[in-house]
Amino acid sequence: MRMRGLFGVSAQFRARVEVQREPLYRLAYSWCHDAALSDDLVQETMLRGLGRAAQLRDQAKLKGWLCAILANCLKDHYRSSAPLEPLDDEMPSHAETPEAASVSSQLAARVRAEIDRLPLGQRQVVTLVDLEGFSYAEVGEILAVPIGTVMSRLCRAREALRQRLMEFAAAQNNKIRSIR
Amino acid sequence: MSQEREVSREMQNAFVDGQLDAADWTALVERMGNDEALRRQVCELRTLKDMVKSAYASARPHGTAPAADRRGWARVAGLALVFALAGWLTHDATERIGAAAALRGVAANGLVVHVASSRGEVVNTALEEVEDYLRDARTAGRKVRVEIVANQTGLDILRADKSTYSKRLERLRAMYPNLTYIACHQTADRLREKGVKVTLLPGVHFAPTALDEIVKRMQQGWVYIRA
Repeated sequence: MRMRGLFGVSAQFRARVEVQREPLYRLAYSWCHDAALSDDLVQETMLRGLGRAAQLRDQAKLKGWLCAILANCLKDHYRSSAPLEPLDDEMPSHAETPEAASVSSQLAARVRAEIDRLPLGQRQVVTLVDLEGFSYAEVGEILAVPIGTVMSRLCRAREALRQRLMEFAAAQNNKIRSIR
Repeated sequence: MSQEREVSREMQNAFVDGQLDAADWTALVERMGNDEALRRQVCELRTLKDMVKSAYASARPHGTAPAADRRGWARVAGLALVFALAGWLTHDATERIGAAAALRGVAANGLVVHVASSRGEVVNTALEEVEDYLRDARTAGRKVRVEIVANQTGLDILRADKSTYSKRLERLRAMYPNLTYIACHQTADRLREKGVKVTLLPGVHFAPTALDEIVKRMQQGWVYIRA
């Protein structure tokens, strides 16, 4: 055991970190589709964030900084518990979680399932952009990859989603119209 | 952007994500006016983007602390310094002695030790360090309190049906009444949802989440150590 450092954390900083709990959970869940693991990852991220508050130079970048910590927490989790998911290759689908099964919207459940089928790197990029509205440059910083990689992963992810989802979405819309 | 060349998927994505500069944005809008296929593709991308956003709109953290507890985060204005020890490192004797000396120099009234893994080296190191710390404090006549907070797979060490450390934990607790074991309720709930019956060792208390317990103790000026 070694003491790594002492730090002071202001109440304001803690409050700002707390505000990010839900967005972090949403992202974590969209990456792993495991509610329990998402809860753990978010707790871990917030603790690490508090512990490393002094490393955040630009307070305006708090959210992106926490997302980067979250990405590292997920990486650490995979490293310690199972072989790391390939970042950019096709992955077999995970089993649908009970939470996903209970999602009221069939479409939402299907979208989650298709996101889950994406390789981790594509999944992370598309959710950072679509769920949290990060710019490509910010996503590159969060995931520590070049912006070109962000764009190509996003492109592949959306193409895969387009192929798998647009037909399904159209069928759902037709169903709704016929009910009306 | 050339009118003749096909608009790449990257460019279309950048358009729907608001990543184009003004000139490219304008050029693409003009192009869409005359290109039905492009309009349809961009429309699909927008739809996809909305579908992804909607699919996770209801995702909320489970076991989020009640609002009253969460407000506690914002009430820590009086906290001047929080001491954090970011990790148990090697088992090297010199380092451990150094760490014990460092801890003796910390004017904290408590130590919260977070165990999030059931891996042997993590748990053994944590328990060794806690025992050293408690013994040193007793020898020095210092009144301290120590909490071991377990979550994730670390909860296993506090489970009656799983723990291979029950005797050791019981012995420590008997020797040091100022040592408390705290289990993460959220982790236990998760196990129960999966049909696992969770029975804790005698004398183990629950906290809503490990994070809430750790933050509560940090607010009180305790030292936080991640095992």
